[in-house]
Amino acid sequence: MIRLTLPAMADAERPYVARLGRTRSTNGVHDFELIDEDVDGATYVGRNGLVAIDGATSDELQGDVVIVDPAGGRAERILRRGSTHNTLLVTERCDQLCLMCSQPPKKTHVDRFALFEEACLLADPGSLIGVSGGEPTLYKSDLLGMMERVLSERQDIEFHVLTNGQFFDEADIVRLRDPRYARVTWGIPVYAAEAVLHDRIVGKERAFERLETSMAMLARAGARIELRTVLISDNVQALPSLASYITRRLRFVEVWSIMQLENIGFARTRWASLFVDHAADFAPIGEAIDQAMLRGVRAQLFNFPRCTVPVAWRDLARASISDWKRRYADACSPCRERDACSGFFEWHPTEQAEAGVRPL
Amino acid sequence: MLLVGDSGAFALGPRSIVERLGTDALTHEDRKSLAREGLLVAEEDALGQVAHGHALAGRIGGAGALDYLILVPTLRCNLSCSYCQVSRVAERSKGFDWNDRTLTAVLEIIDALELDQIKIEFQGGEPTLRPDLIRAVIERCERFARRQFVICTNLQRLDDEVIALFDRPDVFISTSLDGDVSTHARQRTGDAATTDTFLENLRFVVDRYGATKVSALPTIDPASPPDMDALVDSYVVHGIDSVFLRPINYQGFARKRHAEVRELDAAWRDYHAAFVRRLIERNWTDRSRVLEETYFSICLRRVFQPGADRHVDLRDPNPVGVDYVVVDYDGHVYPTDEARMLTRSGVIDLAIGDVFQGWQGDMRDQLNAHATNRFDPTCQRCAYQPFCGRDLIDDLSRYGRIDLPRHETEFCRRHLAMFDLVFEFIYSEEPAVRHSLARWLRLPGTPSRFGAVLS
Repeated sequence: MIRLTLPAMADAERPYVARLGRTRSTNGVHDFELIDEDVDGATYVGRNGLVAIDGATSDELQGDVVIVDPAGGRAERILRRGSTHNTLLVTERCDQLCLMCSQPPKKTHVDRFALFEEACLLADPGSLIGVSGGEPTLYKSDLLGMMERVLSERQDIEFHVLTNGQFFDEADIVRLRDPRYARVTWGIPVYAAEAVLHDRIVGKERAFERLETSMAMLARAGARIELRTVLISDNVQALPSLASYITRRLRFVEVWSIMQLENIGFARTRWASLFVDHAADFAPIGEAIDQAMLRGVRAQLFNFPRCTVPVAWRDLARASISDWKRRYADACSPCRERDACSGFFEWHPTEQAEAGVRPL
Repeated sequence: MLLVGDSGAFALGPRSIVERLGTDALTHEDRKSLAREGLLVAEEDALGQVAHGHALAGRIGGAGALDYLILVPTLRCNLSCSYCQVSRVAERSKGFDWNDRTLTAVLEIIDALELDQIKIEFQGGEPTLRPDLIRAVIERCERFARRQFVICTNLQRLDDEVIALFDRPDVFISTSLDGDVSTHARQRTGDAATTDTFLENLRFVVDRYGATKVSALPTIDPASPPDMDALVDSYVVHGIDSVFLRPINYQGFARKRHAEVRELDAAWRDYHAAFVRRLIERNWTDRSRVLEETYFSICLRRVFQPGADRHVDLRDPNPVGVDYVVVDYDGHVYPTDEARMLTRSGVIDLAIGDVFQGWQGDMRDQLNAHATNRFDPTCQRCAYQPFCGRDLIDDLSRYGRIDLPRHETEFCRRHLAMFDLVFEFIYSEEPAVRHSLARWLRLPGTPSRFGAVLS
């Protein structure tokens, strides 16, 4: 596992953005230069003074864009160089309370949009930057403003925003038609075609109805949408009917991602009652994928180790788990499809992982 | 009864629901089940409205900017096939190749294309008689990010120059294979030695490049069609799983001579349907390969996946001279290859211009004013309208006019039969049928149902 937050000591007063390098070759105001390194970590200097970061080597940190929080005594690796899984956690508040939430919401919010904006402008060329939460659109106007400025400044950058789609309104239709939003994809969960079931899973009344309203607006805006459905025992049998629903009412989406459960947050405590062993019965998933693809909706599988997916659908299983929290079972070592495989979440039950894999 | 909406949504429902629909007596339950299938959209259902509009737009075949050229660098050919009267001249004829001026004009057209993609099909005559012209065109296309070249050849003569062209990864080979040896010899090559040369060369290119680079089409004489299994086997033996059945296309006098042409058309439809049924059986018996008839697959995919194929023969609207054109050996520009042949046979001059002056004139606009089935009174009453298309050139070719009632045209009869077959299969319970449908629709598994049934 790659640690994203590291202990750090810094002399500045307030949090700031720094790009860590061996030398100050690019001469940007955010560039920090390595001045010392020992077994504990690396020390850099830049316009905000000294920062000593523990738990990583300067090789590992080379080129990373970090937010240094002197008061909190830590540095957050916001944009790791070369990683395709960089994500901005813009808030931990949420209006929904999903049964299987991997990141249970908190009541407080720390506004860091200005820091995120500075960080994004320093991103590697051609970066795809994730935005997540909590629910990012609770701070919709800050979020859109931040993205719009970054997208204007950096024509090479794209965003992928995970949102529950509860807060789009009429005014957003025109705003989201701006050509800059051709570089923004909205990852939006839908858990069932039956409003009652969806609402129960997300823990919010009339959420489904509100989602449909937003979907109509996003479609009119020409927004790029990735639908996401986390598989749990509550919705697995309803998956084929969800597929039919998507093909009839949400066919304008770019792709439908069916996601296996992440053993963290609420899902960890409710694992036994939520987890679906897709290897034991793939039928509803296969039927759902076939129904979607029959009508031209592209489908893909996230967090499904390839060997656990029947061969007909295996190519839809993506290496979806972020690099920093991905691991493979010991039994995976001889597998030839490892590089194309999601592997497991770092926190997936080891016994379950080891028992389930058959190297390909 | 089959209910189809203008967006292509469909379901099978009882006659009673249709009667209630006709008398404005739908029940609440009727409305719910029709709405679920996208066959009815409530006014207050914003998402349903958008979804319907999106689906409707998806049915409209968007002809974009020009990015597909069919080029005839020479009309000369080294074969003399029985049914190819008008689109060839003898190999030694003079004055039937592009001259320098024509080549220059074609290259200038390529330079002026707006898009970053290009597809070029080299037809003939036999285009490989002029590999220098093919090479000049291909070399001019290096600037395109995506490019694909198809050389339509009889594969009678493979010299180093031609092989060097084939060796390019962006070049594909299309040839004709009319079935077993005797059929192919009778229709095309004439004698056994020439047939052997062709088969050896076909084997050579398939072995050298793999079957994915080589496609082949059989031309079928509906009056004496080949044995289906023998035809399929002649493809399978070369590793080619897709067969695009084409009926002999009688032009001009040849068509007039065949007084029984209507019977031939019916015989063709029967043969085609029987052929598709036979493929279904074979696919079920031997599940290690997926045989398909290309045109049936195109029609099938149009029902479920509009826009999946870029097939310019079946789309709506189907404007001519917009996204693709045919450039003849003399620089004349035609909307389709069939239009070129019609013109040569003296039926009607369908040239829409030439490579020197362009083709954005009245001729093209007049044709395109009628290039849709959308407002045709017969088509509007047809359940298959959203899936079907329009082919002005075919109508002109057969009837010399485009205003016949649709259902009196062969285009209509052929596609009515085709979509009847498609929908028979969609609602078939036969595992063999469903297996082939799923493969032809490029699905990973076989869904439990292809079409909804209203309760």
